[in-house]
Amino acid sequence: MSTDFNLTTELHDKTLVIKTEGYINNAGGEKIVRELEKHADVTKLILNLENSRVVNSIGISHLIEVIEKLNQTNSKLVFTNLDPTIEKTFSIMGLFQFADKADTVESALKG
Amino acid sequence: MENNNLVEKLSLQAESFQEGFEILCKSFSFDEMVKNFLHLMRGNFIISEIIAYHKKQLDSEWKVIASKRNPESTDISYFKESKSVSIQYFKEDKYDVSILLPLADQSYLGILIGPKMDRGGFTDLDKITLQILLQIFDSAHKSFLNQKKEKGLIFELNEKVVQLNNLIDTVIEVSRYDRRNVLFELALERIASLTNASSALLQISSKTKSEQHFSFPLNIDVNNVLNSEFKLESIFDYNNISYHFTLADKETRNGVVHFNELDRLLLGAIARQIQTTIENQYLHSQAIEKEKIEQELSVAASIQQRILPDRLPNIEGYELAGINIPSREVGGDYYDCIELGNGKYALIIADVAGKGIGAALLVSTLNAALYSYLEFDIPLTKMSDKLNKLIYESSPSDKFITFFIAVLDSNSGELDIVNAGHNPIFLLRKDGTLEKIDAGGVGLGMFDFGISYTGQKSVMNSGDKLFLYTDGIPEAMNANEEEYSDERMISFFQNHSQNSPQEFISALVKDVKEYAGAVPQSDDITALILKKN
Repeated sequence: MSTDFNLTTELHDKTLVIKTEGYINNAGGEKIVRELEKHADVTKLILNLENSRVVNSIGISHLIEVIEKLNQTNSKLVFTNLDPTIEKTFSIMGLFQFADKADTVESALKG
Repeated sequence: MENNNLVEKLSLQAESFQEGFEILCKSFSFDEMVKNFLHLMRGNFIISEIIAYHKKQLDSEWKVIASKRNPESTDISYFKESKSVSIQYFKEDKYDVSILLPLADQSYLGILIGPKMDRGGFTDLDKITLQILLQIFDSAHKSFLNQKKEKGLIFELNEKVVQLNNLIDTVIEVSRYDRRNVLFELALERIASLTNASSALLQISSKTKSEQHFSFPLNIDVNNVLNSEFKLESIFDYNNISYHFTLADKETRNGVVHFNELDRLLLGAIARQIQTTIENQYLHSQAIEKEKIEQELSVAASIQQRILPDRLPNIEGYELAGINIPSREVGGDYYDCIELGNGKYALIIADVAGKGIGAALLVSTLNAALYSYLEFDIPLTKMSDKLNKLIYESSPSDKFITFFIAVLDSNSGELDIVNAGHNPIFLLRKDGTLEKIDAGGVGLGMFDFGISYTGQKSVMNSGDKLFLYTDGIPEAMNANEEEYSDERMISFFQNHSQNSPQEFISALVKDVKEYAGAVPQSDDITALILKKN
């Protein structure tokens, strides 16, 4: 299995910012879910995908899990810095019905 | 009376059952649903301890889902092995009730209920309530499974739409790229994403170049991909280069699996588009190259045409004719007859090694230099030395010029001659004697060793003919790749000695063309003939 995935996190009060790098596949998606589980009290998750240009449907299923977990606590997810192909994919998969998108992390933090 | 109380109590609970069902149905996961159910049980029976277990199949291990303390391993012995609902009530035991509930997905839920807070034990009403609650859980669980299935179907449907959409986008994008590495990287990214491959590899190999490979993700272990148990391949060859795509490890949430037929079709479609793009790029570059060559040939042809004489001078007492038929690939043949004054004329024929614009420019240099040097009336051998140096210094090492010059004094018929590496020139005497003129030295620009050219003198008498030509005549090929040859040309020259120079040249060109037949002319045909009346 490929391990071409890394993430870094920043906590701004009750907003967690996760910046990903690499292929969001099964391994990458699992890492994002596990990272969210470490921060159970956040009310907003900002997922900065600036350095992730490729996502597969297994990665998307993990992102849906993230959305569902956040919905349980009335928290929300905001995607930022989306590659046009990923944005189109998320749109078709219906992710934006349950999550927001913003151009940058800064604008997502303000929103 | 007791029954009336029971009905009344159940009526009051009906509303709370409905609320409980809705809460269970809204559960995000099975574990959460069980926890919500236990909460419902605690509220109904006023109990302090309740533990839930779950096992995926009848013969699987029990797993604790919810418990306020670490349950003892012996607790599971309370569950009676059964394929149907089993509820056991105990008196004065650690637990009051044990429940084994088979679920719709073939898994089992086990619940152990500790003593009621009032230590009163389970009444008939409690037992009926418990039955109802279990039915509520079962219904909520079925609803949960249906929702999960429905979500899965919607996900799969959307996934197919994404695949189709991405495939179309990829085909369009791939056809746009002209940089190969970007094209390959994009294709690998997209095919990995489309098929849920963990990694994708492209190996490009040929007999002449070392193997090159591209991968997604970038830093993968190539051997891991090639040795994967779960891989999918597609290969195509173009222009003796092999393109070998390999996908490895199709991902699922539960590990890696084999690629399916759809994946094979998707990989095939992307590989075919890559092949088409490479073919188009190759054909496009060929078209550009062809256009470039044609432009160069056009420039070369125009240079050559400017240099070659429009018409030859009339020399009193002589007849002169010349011809130049350029080949399709413009060569570097040159001929001229330059009037020098005082009845003197310089007859020149030359051939540059090579073709195209380079050869045409070298002819141009020779032409310009010749006109300059001839003005100064310097000896031909010296002039040839100077021309040799000039051409040597102004041309690449593989370029040189075979050159023949004869200065005719038309009054006396004297010829002052230098042959710098050109084919032998023939002087046919009136009596049929053929003289070969080849004294001189090497071609101009071949070497610069300081060795002087040697000259030769001769005299033309009435009826004599001087025949200058380039190798395009004797080396013209027929369909059997046989040359026209020096012998045939000399024989033709001798056999047509009665013709005027113009008639001779026309007849010679006709004979050469008939000999070559349909074989395209590969070199310039140039000839100059002088006859003394």
